[in-house]
Amino acid sequence: MAKRSPSSSPEDLSPLAAAREWARDRFAVEDLQHLAAKKQVPVHRYTVFYYLGGMALFLFLVQVATGILLLLYYRPSSTEAFESVQYMMADVPFGWLIRSIHSWGANVFVGVVFIHAISVFFLKAYRAPREMTWVTGALLLFLALGFGFSGYLLPWNTLAYFATKVGTDVPAQVPVIGHLLSRILRGGSDVTGATLSRFYGLHVAILPAITTVFLGLHLLLVQRQGMSVPRKIEREGGPPKTMPFVPAFLMRDMVGWLAAIGVLAALAAFFPWELGVKADPFAPAPAGIRPEWFFLWTFQGLKYLPATVLGIPGETLGVLFLGAVAAIFVLIPILDRKLSRAWNAAAILLLIGAAILTVLALMPVKGAA
Amino acid sequence: MNFFRAAAVLAFAGVAAFSTAQAPAPAAKKPAAPAANSCIDCHLALDDQRVTPPAKAFADDIHAKAGFTCVFCHGGNAAAEDQELAHDAKKGFIGKPTHAQIPEICGKCHSDAAAMKHFNPSLRTDQLSEYRTSGHGKKLAKGDQDVAECASCHGAHGIQHVKDTRSPVSPTRVAQTCNGCHGNDALMKKHNLPSDAYAKWTKSVHYAARAKGDASAPTCNSCHGNHGAAPPEVASVANVCGTCHATFAEKLKTSPHWEPFQEMGLPGCVVCHDNHGIVRPSEAFLGTGPEGKCSSCHDAGSPGAKGAEAMRASLTALAKETAVTRETLDRAAEAGMEVSKVRFELGQSDDALTKARGNVHLFRVAAVREDTDAGLKIAKTAHKAAIKKLQERDYRRNGLFVSLGLIFLTMVALVVKIRTSSP
Repeated sequence: MAKRSPSSSPEDLSPLAAAREWARDRFAVEDLQHLAAKKQVPVHRYTVFYYLGGMALFLFLVQVATGILLLLYYRPSSTEAFESVQYMMADVPFGWLIRSIHSWGANVFVGVVFIHAISVFFLKAYRAPREMTWVTGALLLFLALGFGFSGYLLPWNTLAYFATKVGTDVPAQVPVIGHLLSRILRGGSDVTGATLSRFYGLHVAILPAITTVFLGLHLLLVQRQGMSVPRKIEREGGPPKTMPFVPAFLMRDMVGWLAAIGVLAALAAFFPWELGVKADPFAPAPAGIRPEWFFLWTFQGLKYLPATVLGIPGETLGVLFLGAVAAIFVLIPILDRKLSRAWNAAAILLLIGAAILTVLALMPVKGAA
Repeated sequence: MNFFRAAAVLAFAGVAAFSTAQAPAPAAKKPAAPAANSCIDCHLALDDQRVTPPAKAFADDIHAKAGFTCVFCHGGNAAAEDQELAHDAKKGFIGKPTHAQIPEICGKCHSDAAAMKHFNPSLRTDQLSEYRTSGHGKKLAKGDQDVAECASCHGAHGIQHVKDTRSPVSPTRVAQTCNGCHGNDALMKKHNLPSDAYAKWTKSVHYAARAKGDASAPTCNSCHGNHGAAPPEVASVANVCGTCHATFAEKLKTSPHWEPFQEMGLPGCVVCHDNHGIVRPSEAFLGTGPEGKCSSCHDAGSPGAKGAEAMRASLTALAKETAVTRETLDRAAEAGMEVSKVRFELGQSDDALTKARGNVHLFRVAAVREDTDAGLKIAKTAHKAAIKKLQERDYRRNGLFVSLGLIFLTMVALVVKIRTSSP
């Protein structure tokens, strides 16, 4: 820890300098300053992709902040949830803004996380020694989807209710333990107030706790290992220059964050997130049930499956396939290395990645149509 | 299948009694499985346009499916292969029944409550007695051969259950069946009846409701009855309309119009609403204007006409205020404002308008105003709330522009800083 110079006494310092001294003595600020000054960001033609991680982190923090504010008014029960959100939207000062930013922000956040993952995949930033950065990032992506899935039900409106019914039917297709999984998720055999309580617990406690751990690990690894330089740039002799993270890169990050908050505010003001109609478990499912856009590809994909394939229910195969895709996604760094040793399969992996991306992109379009 | 069995047994009982006077009626017995039916065999083999089509059609008849044969209605001997023996009058053969005979033939089974209740206790057995009270039945009794009897509406040899859409008297087809005769200009002229009832009905709100799939909306027999079909009497019109529009009928009966209408022989509801061509009522009905219904009795400027115009003014004011508020709310909702609470409150104004419109049948200005005033109060409060929502929308957008300006300035400042600090 840095020691204060004996020549200076608190009485000689201005209030600002005194406060800085006070903090320096207690929080090892100089260490942090040193770390910040040391951190350099490579500058090359792909540098723009480095901003995606920071953008995702910023949007996550926006979600945390708006989510905490929503907690002040939200009531997690099937009899009160819808009315409490309605009250926020209509009567609570700026409640509409906070709820709309939270809802729009969730979608933008997931979108940015997807793009971040795609850019890391195609730039092969998961190469050694950054395998665990990828693994924690992939798990954070799944956690983001979990936040989206659990948060969708919380307003307890018709669309969310029936989409959750369909969504919680999907785990039931897992062989042997499927029905148990579905029951655990729902808190019973059907989507009820018990499901809402569970999803609320997941959304505001369990997922945030897990996310904190993985996000901390992810950020720590990024700090330890620095930014990955694409192989192509390395082959060209490395990045021509670097820029300090503080303040140069951070200021550029902030420009993006300000733009993001501006976009979210504009969306909230011109297109406040709809609340819809309160869920009625006894009403027939309305037309046009759909999950959030980031689940549309699974929703659509499961629709196209035949009833049975070789005597196995099509939906079971679909769920197993989804599980396999998720496992492959997490294990990409290891698979890439093993495949590359066997044969020059990196290009094939890229092609598979591109094909999956195309399917992911087209399914929501088809679903929306 | 119990119904068919019941019908079969009843038909057997009735027709047997009719065709062989000496034989006791075998009521509530299932008809024995027909042995050889020489009637069908011969009539099909004859290939005669007069007798073959009925034999063909009978195969799909509800009675045939229940085990009845031709002799239950026509008499004769179905076991005989010789025509003379088959058409033996001693065996009750009557050949083609006359108009006057048909209700009696059908009634032999369909009026036998003791037999019918074995199979379908809820099935009515008063069709024949109802028919005798109908315009058709009374005229038939006087020898009028133009009028409808059972077969005119149900068909003779391909009779289907009334709920079967192939039946001419199924709810979806009964109006066209009635129109078969009642839309015949020459026939109706002969009987001094209008022939435009169906044409008018197809322009009515009742027809529109049916066209939308509301099977409960009235068709001919809903108001006129079916077997006892007759025009409602003047004094009964309100009762007939009141079977569905009960509240309005009750209100009319307590209104100042009721007694004069009775004294003048005016047919209640029909005076203002017409009978077959009932259109959607509007506020314009109230008054002596072009669409006004009051001018036939009340002169313009008379107390009655003034009262009607006062009611119209109250209703119009509430309808207008509600519509304007709804339009304002729609604009706020399109801008993404949460308006469901205000919409719910405005719904009470709709309710007040509906109630006030119903109270028109009391023909008392105060009764209408009581509801329109209450509705106006609600609508005006909702209108204020709707305008507040629009102001809130503007406030949000103005706030956004200020915030975006600040954000933009900060971004510009950052970009300038980045550019100046870059090596």
